[in-house]
Amino acid sequence: MTRIQDIGSFSTVREAGMAKLVPNRPRIGVGMGTCGAGNGAEAVYHAFAEAIGQQGRDVKLVSVGCFGFCAEEPLVNVRIPGKPLVVLRRVRTSDVGRILDGIASGTVPDDLALCKIEEWDHLTAHIEYGTGFPKIPSWQEVPFFKPQKKIVLRNCGLISPDDMEEYVAVGGYQSLYKVLIDANPELVIEQIKAAKLRGRGGAGFLTGLKWEFLRKAVAEHKYAICNADEGDPGAYMNRNEIESDPHSLLEGMIIGGYVMGATEGIIYVRAEYPLAVHRLTRAIDQAHQSGLLGENILGRGFRFDIQLVEGAGAFVCGEETALISSLEGFAGRPRPRPPFPAQKGLWGMPTNINNVETWYNIAPIVTKGPAWFSETGSTKSAGTKVFSLVGKVTNTGLVEMPLGTTLKTFIYDVGEGGTGGKPVKAVQTGGPSGGCIPQEMFDTPVDYETLAQLGSIMGSGGMVVMDEDNCMVDVARYFIEFTHSESCGKCIPCRVGLDQSLRVLNAFTRGRAAESDLDRLDEIGRMVRDTSLCGLGQSAPNPLLTTMRHFRHEFEDHIRAKRCRAGVCEELALSPCENSCPLHMNIPRFLQLYKEGRIDDAFEAVVLDNPLPASTGRVCQHPCDDRCRRRAVDSAVNMREVHRFIADTIFDSDRFDELAERIVSRKLPPTDRKIAVVGAGPTGLTAAFYLALLGHQVTIYESNPEPGGMLRYAIPEYRLSKNVIRREVELIRRLGVEIVTGVAVGTDIQLNDLDNQYNAVFLAIGTWKEAWVYLAGTESKGVYPALLFLESVAKDQAMRLGPRVAIVGGGNAAVDSARTARRMGSDVTIIYRRERKDMPAIREETDAAEEEGVRFRFLATPHRIVSDEQGNVKAIEVVRTTLGEFDASGRRRPVPTEEIRRIECDTVILAVGEAVDRDFARASGLRIRENGTVEVDRYTLETSRSKFYAGGDLISGASNVSNAMGYGKKAARNIDARVMGPGRWERIASQLSYGSEIPEEPVPSARHYAHELPAAERVENFAEAVVGISAEEALEEAARCLRCDIRDHHH
Amino acid sequence: MKKVRVATIWLDGCAGCHMSVLDIDEAILNVARRAEMVYGPLVDAHEFPKQVDVTLVEGGVSSQEDLEKIRTVRQRSRLVVSLGDCAVTGNISAMRNQTPTRKLLERIYVEGADVMRVVPSDGVPALLRHAVPVHEFVKVDLHVPGCPPSAKAIAFVLEELFEGRVPDLRSKVKFG
Amino acid sequence: MADKISVRIDGEYVAAQQGQTILEVARAGGKFIPTLCWLENLSPVGGCRLCIVEVSGVGRLLPACTTPAQDGMSVTTNSEKLTQYRRMALEFLFSERNHQCAVCVSNNHCELQSMAQRLGVTNVRYPYSFPKMRVDASHERYVLDHNRCILCTRCVRVCAEVEGARVWDVSGRGIHSLIVSDMNRPWGDSKTCTSCGKCVEVCPTGALAEKGFGVEEMVKRDRKVRRLAGRRGGHV
Repeated sequence: MTRIQDIGSFSTVREAGMAKLVPNRPRIGVGMGTCGAGNGAEAVYHAFAEAIGQQGRDVKLVSVGCFGFCAEEPLVNVRIPGKPLVVLRRVRTSDVGRILDGIASGTVPDDLALCKIEEWDHLTAHIEYGTGFPKIPSWQEVPFFKPQKKIVLRNCGLISPDDMEEYVAVGGYQSLYKVLIDANPELVIEQIKAAKLRGRGGAGFLTGLKWEFLRKAVAEHKYAICNADEGDPGAYMNRNEIESDPHSLLEGMIIGGYVMGATEGIIYVRAEYPLAVHRLTRAIDQAHQSGLLGENILGRGFRFDIQLVEGAGAFVCGEETALISSLEGFAGRPRPRPPFPAQKGLWGMPTNINNVETWYNIAPIVTKGPAWFSETGSTKSAGTKVFSLVGKVTNTGLVEMPLGTTLKTFIYDVGEGGTGGKPVKAVQTGGPSGGCIPQEMFDTPVDYETLAQLGSIMGSGGMVVMDEDNCMVDVARYFIEFTHSESCGKCIPCRVGLDQSLRVLNAFTRGRAAESDLDRLDEIGRMVRDTSLCGLGQSAPNPLLTTMRHFRHEFEDHIRAKRCRAGVCEELALSPCENSCPLHMNIPRFLQLYKEGRIDDAFEAVVLDNPLPASTGRVCQHPCDDRCRRRAVDSAVNMREVHRFIADTIFDSDRFDELAERIVSRKLPPTDRKIAVVGAGPTGLTAAFYLALLGHQVTIYESNPEPGGMLRYAIPEYRLSKNVIRREVELIRRLGVEIVTGVAVGTDIQLNDLDNQYNAVFLAIGTWKEAWVYLAGTESKGVYPALLFLESVAKDQAMRLGPRVAIVGGGNAAVDSARTARRMGSDVTIIYRRERKDMPAIREETDAAEEEGVRFRFLATPHRIVSDEQGNVKAIEVVRTTLGEFDASGRRRPVPTEEIRRIECDTVILAVGEAVDRDFARASGLRIRENGTVEVDRYTLETSRSKFYAGGDLISGASNVSNAMGYGKKAARNIDARVMGPGRWERIASQLSYGSEIPEEPVPSARHYAHELPAAERVENFAEAVVGISAEEALEEAARCLRCDIRDHHH
Repeated sequence: MKKVRVATIWLDGCAGCHMSVLDIDEAILNVARRAEMVYGPLVDAHEFPKQVDVTLVEGGVSSQEDLEKIRTVRQRSRLVVSLGDCAVTGNISAMRNQTPTRKLLERIYVEGADVMRVVPSDGVPALLRHAVPVHEFVKVDLHVPGCPPSAKAIAFVLEELFEGRVPDLRSKVKFG
Repeated sequence: MADKISVRIDGEYVAAQQGQTILEVARAGGKFIPTLCWLENLSPVGGCRLCIVEVSGVGRLLPACTTPAQDGMSVTTNSEKLTQYRRMALEFLFSERNHQCAVCVSNNHCELQSMAQRLGVTNVRYPYSFPKMRVDASHERYVLDHNRCILCTRCVRVCAEVEGARVWDVSGRGIHSLIVSDMNRPWGDSKTCTSCGKCVEVCPTGALAEKGFGVEEMVKRDRKVRRLAGRRGGHV
């Protein structure tokens, strides 16, 4: 290797490097960091090597580092002379042939192309790769890269980390050369200070100041140390930096060594990073051979050496004094500061320690100057920071962002929102000792001070995104468990305080925590934070304190309701499906009972868990599907269809009376307590069922002529036959529930009367008030609210529709109206302001509507309704929307444009949502929330008025059947506890015993779906459009259950 | 003056704390004057009374029976006082906690016995996994550590309680 | 001659010398700051955190034993928060191992016990861990009872800094930390132990004791050791 001693030898090396980096033949670079290798990059590399060799192609193949987009690994970059560098994503060995073929003909496969790079600013040099490929987006146009600014990662994924010449080609070691030529160390320190570079290890101390301390220290030996002990779970920026561009680290350290007057450099790197150690060792060797380390560096008479030390992977060694202890051969335990390392560090000598990333910023600052550097970032935090964006976010990877960028930009722009479109709940910054920041605070700029104010830290740059499937109690427990196991044990608060915290948190996740434990955790957390010896203990309580501050209700759920909504804390749930079911049906039980051929028992088990099993069997949103573990094998068990089958079989048989009698026999002895239920919708019926079972005298008041609520009057006949509801209501009547129809509370009977006559009152009147959009023309003839329309059809008094119907909205009411209108012979268009995937309606329903000929106009919002001289609807004008920022629902907010389109139509149905009848809510004298819903205690459903309870849509706003029924069940339980005292609820649960054998192997059958009638046939009438599964299919379906409710895995 | 209704109860302890209550010299006269002893090993009452002003608890909670007792005591007492280290810290009663109960019982009733080598189960309350201080199960209003607490401390505590105050014991008592 | 400085402790000016720690200044001025791991003339480690104090203008609490006093510094040694934290630290210690004072050789002569009394700890609110700990009675004259150990590391330091034998060290980490002799061999097998007994004398609790003493009989006399340590002229 050429020894670089002067400008001439420098140029020779640089030219050699350029010839490798932008050769006059095609070059393929395979991203071979640990991350790429883990995703199959090695096989891809070998496939390329083999194909190039066998086919004798004139292509240069190199392995490069990582370009940062983990979600798209393995990444391969291809450059054909004169053309831009193209980054290919998710390259498989099977793609190798066509990539090489493409290169031979001067193209790249478009389907694999992620982006192109025409020119690249390596900061220390500018490289022009070429132009062309107009169809491939430039890298700055890719959302993941767009907000990024690559200073630290300037070379990563582009140059070969194994070849020093390529590093020199992109301006490497130029800064060092400049510093040595200028021979003015104080000036360099002034520049670093002026750049306002702060330590990237997390504490954010000014690097220039730290350098000045060491420069001024007088001693025989002085040490410059690089802290590469990256121990945070989920953080890998340092690993990637070293693996992709080791020479940048060396250059930063040699400059630092010279400027600070250090005699030796030491890199303390995790032994768990073998590839980083390997590449760094080679880079150090190359630097030695080239005269960049050792004696007489660059011929300027400066002597400096760098030693590599592998750490044993203790998290606490990230703390600088513990790192020094470890270097000295002692156990990694921190020492009190003062004395600070700059006074008394390694071997008692003055020592400077900087994080890997800090060192990477040095060369660019020297080359481009402090003013350029401090242009990026916020006032107090200059420059960029590399973050590992991981967790429940669409785009994961290493991102380098200007400091001061808002969390919103990280999560929604770079990350492109939550995984699978789910709303993001929180983000945890700073690694295991960082805090959790809730979605409401995503406007927060990411800099040292702001994060600290929120109880979090910058740390080394971890960023873990969380959604509703993350339990925040478990998150706190997980991180405390980590710091607990990494605590060195030297000081009492960290050693014992974390142990005590972990005990309490474990009690939470097992449902054994008490109310007082909240205060206890808070007290311990503060004490550990305020009194611990080192940074580990001082920051360890952050995840705990912030989750308790921002997600206190989740902690309370674990105590009061013994529930973990995310379904993470396994001991609080029977099984994932049970946990997800708003009625908490014991699903594995009824599946098992049916599998054992005990259909009567299965019916009892189903009904005691869910009094409307046939209706819900048709219309439930089935959240259980999303949680079923069987998905890991093939697809979820169709639990909904099995209980529909069980219910239908009994309801339709001549044994209904017998089984109804069996349910009635489960009633507890009469209590002589009288309970009124207002509203005979799913919520009220459910509450009445359980209250009657508990032995109370129950009366339901319903304003409509028949019970059933939305099930009866909103959901169309083709989805749910009225006969089905009648059977279910019949069963509830047989339990002794009196249903008084045609009586409106507030008009025909007053709340005060109920108060006087009953021991408790349950209000479940739902959301029957139509939300309305106010736009020009809504007063025209032929404009209907969806609910009113559906109700008119359900009452056989259907409104007249014109031949062309436009429906505004994307929920179930919109789709129900559309399919109903199709059955009435109209031509239907649904107008929705977002995209299809954002529609709140059940997906099967939307698909069915499309099959039936319903048209969709997405990204459109109504502008005005046009009518003729008689005032009849003629057309609707819509504005085209584009999608803007993400809102709290995790969807992009529609933003109207100027573009207006006209849709000719004769009828407009507005299905833009339902709300609580505010007049009733206000007249009731109950405390109501801003959105009009009735305020209740989260756990008991008690309203502000004694004896009055409320549930269903009335308290939640428009929701769905199973959620509503869940409230009914909960209300019954709490009302009973109130009028009778606790401990009675368990007595009405099914006591049937059932098999608890885990299937040795999952039965191979695939999921059975219910049978849809052909679209052409079903659109002809209102008969049920979906026929349930058969007895055999139900049996196979039940057998598909993996029985994750069974905990003791004895066999 | 209405007398203060005082109960004492003996859980897993050695009776030393009860002895110490008697061993407070002339202060005992004040106790006799001010207190009505309504329950305890020193009183002939079979059931724990419904309403008690102060209950002094000796001993840790070690068995199922102790647990039931202390829950009743808590329900029926205005103030619950943990008297002595066993009630306050577990102390001697907790020294068995490092050994699993089954092993412990076998060591004593089987290995250590010459006759009837069997672990008794009939009519003997089941041991809890650990013997623990009273406050791990019920709210305790005052802790009086000591093995036993000094006569001076006990006299002071009773005097203060009779006056309707919860005494401040900081620096007046010690463990052991 | 060291530079004279002036430090305000709890509102009173106290004369001090540059290089003294806050604790040294306070002690010299007759001010009490609680300590457990600190021992005069041994190198301070700042492990027990009982000596935390508030210093005006500093957002964090600082350990008095390792923080150098500076001219013009204003120190508060006692506040509601400090007392609360100190008590919690003691409660943590009691909950961590098995401290049955009543049957301990050091009963009534124990620094942990007397500190609890002094700071008004009358009960431990946190659940006890009840760990199963060993007792090493292999040494012919002394015994190490891990049940009573509070990991103050005075034994480690006195052995290394004064006796120069380096018998003791801490193995494991976090809640599993344990004092060990000679690479975790029984103390009685130690090739390095000189049986000088300094570790026993400086141990604040009954963890290290002389054999043959019953309950309450072990009285530690660390004055000689402290004087010896002082003669060595500062710590390593």
